[in-house]
Amino acid sequence: MTRPAAVTWRCGAFSGRVAPRTAVFTLLTLAVLVAVSGLALYSGHYPLTVAEMSAILFQRADETADIVIWYHRLPRLLVGIGAGAAFGVSGALIQDMLRNPLASPDVVGFSAGAATGALFTVMLTGSSFWVLPGAMAGGVLSAALVLLLAWNKGLSSARLVLIGLALSLFLMALVDIMMARLDLLTAADIMKWLVGAFPSPEWSDVALIFGALITLGPFALWQGFALKRMALGDDIATALGLNVSRVRLKILFLSVGLTACAVSVAGPLPFVAFAANPIARRLSAASGACNGSPLLGAAAVGACLTVMADLVCRSLPIGADLPTGIFTAMIGAPLLVWQLTLEIRKGAL
Amino acid sequence: MKTAAYPLSAGGLTLTRPVGPVLDELGLAVPRGKISVVIGPNACGKSTLLRCLARLLRPDQGEVLLEGDPIDRQKPKQVARQLAILPQNSTVPEYLRVFDLVARGRTPWQSPLSQWSRADALAVERALALAGVEAYSLRPLSELSGGQRQRAFIAMILAQDAPILLLDEPTTFLDLPHQIELLDLVRKLNRESGKTVVMVLHDINLAARFADHVFALKDGKVNREGAPADVVTEATMRQIFALDCLVIPDPLHGCPHVIPR
Ligand SMILES: Nc1ncnc2c1ncn2[C@@H]1O[C@H](COP(=O)(O)OP(=O)(O)O)[C@@H](O)[C@H]1O
Ligand SMILES: [Mg+2]
Repeated sequence: MTRPAAVTWRCGAFSGRVAPRTAVFTLLTLAVLVAVSGLALYSGHYPLTVAEMSAILFQRADETADIVIWYHRLPRLLVGIGAGAAFGVSGALIQDMLRNPLASPDVVGFSAGAATGALFTVMLTGSSFWVLPGAMAGGVLSAALVLLLAWNKGLSSARLVLIGLALSLFLMALVDIMMARLDLLTAADIMKWLVGAFPSPEWSDVALIFGALITLGPFALWQGFALKRMALGDDIATALGLNVSRVRLKILFLSVGLTACAVSVAGPLPFVAFAANPIARRLSAASGACNGSPLLGAAAVGACLTVMADLVCRSLPIGADLPTGIFTAMIGAPLLVWQLTLEIRKGAL
Repeated sequence: MKTAAYPLSAGGLTLTRPVGPVLDELGLAVPRGKISVVIGPNACGKSTLLRCLARLLRPDQGEVLLEGDPIDRQKPKQVARQLAILPQNSTVPEYLRVFDLVARGRTPWQSPLSQWSRADALAVERALALAGVEAYSLRPLSELSGGQRQRAFIAMILAQDAPILLLDEPTTFLDLPHQIELLDLVRKLNRESGKTVVMVLHDINLAARFADHVFALKDGKVNREGAPADVVTEATMRQIFALDCLVIPDPLHGCPHVIPR
């Protein structure tokens, strides 16, 4: 047999090919996401039966339970799904483009840049309208800075990570200075947001993050085609007809844009962007095989991770107020250490 | 489409590296439908020349014309449909399977919405068979020998289906029988499908045997060019490689055969 197993579809000028394992994996992850979402809606301090819950979801009633679902649990769940998916795609884009598993927006300081930018503009203007533009500007600036400083005839993992770390520390100091002017209560809220938290999001936040996914997502999937070819190295990618620098620029902007949107609704949640793509790859074997986009898998895994972390954070008996980011860090940090060990063993650091 | 006199040509190519000028106002015109071989001593700039011709490197000065038009002013995808290159050392992800690598060769004919047309499937099957890699098409590159990997790459650029092929030392990692087999394949592609081939070979005897046209590089310029019988001579070998040798007609193939003294 010379052909790998694949599901091929053709329809007029359109055609594609997906490895069965990739398709099954993506569907399974979506199923897990649905299950976890149900659990997230169901569990909480205000007890609800399944029957009550579905009644509220499908025919609105004017009760406390209605408020709990429609104004607390559902927006929070949706922001978790949206931000997680955006972080997942954003991480996969940069990691695959730079062929470097350590180069995710949260590890190399893009998320921190977006957060600082958002905070800075909000404080300057006093209006939350400017969160997103501020996050975008901060994200783009920090990305440009990190890549500029780390570039030395190519990007080495070590330089990228260390410079990203240095930038993150510097930005944290900057944030501390900015926060010294605030009263304690606001400062405490902002601190929590800076770890990554979305305790009581508005429906406008839901609209923002899903708006971002709907507008930027298709472009990201479109670039997924080029992204797979970029894995072959600049020479072969060019030889196969890609405009490598232009593809890089587009992917960078998409990734920073998705990060900025996710950060503006959920704060710089650590490690979701870092972990989603490698997990999706390992489980779906989508790395090289076939044409199924690995981005969808990364989005699904990112959403799952975020919703699970948020669920754990809400369900703990003691810390009702711990930020979600603490739990994504507890999943992600060991993965980062493991990845670093792998890179060191490979001699890449 | 209008037909230029030469499918691929270059003029005034100049490229300076820290070591000094590598290409120095080099000009060359590749004959259509022939096998051209570039020879020259190590580090004389053969790979650099091939990379410039395939727009993988931008020269400091000078211009490359593909079918008469400047190559860097044409759409990258259109260029890739006309010209395929096998660079000298390519590092690709080790987990990639041969089949997937070969399928990537179809990129210039694909788009995000059409990633596996019937033509793609056919071209990949044909390339796998031609390059003789069917037997291990499902193995990852990391499990292959150097020679098997080289053939997988050949299959990739065959799948690209371009009329012009640039090959940088395609015989590295191959033992002698496989070198001959590969060059026979190149010749077959040239004779049967009319492909224009430009390749770098370091073995002068193989170059003399398989070339229709030889470019001998020295000091960043094409020093001599022409049919093997005119270029592979004792005088040229001394001048280009500083090699003291005897050149006799190959008793089997009639081409010049170099015997170093
Ligand atoms: N990326 C590079 N940076 C600096 N010097 C280079 C680079 N690539 C090639 N060179 C130099 O250019 C010269 C020509 O190299 P090359 O074209 O690879 O030679 P060859 O004829 O053996 O293929 C060599 O002296 C080499 O050291
Ligand atoms: Mg070379």
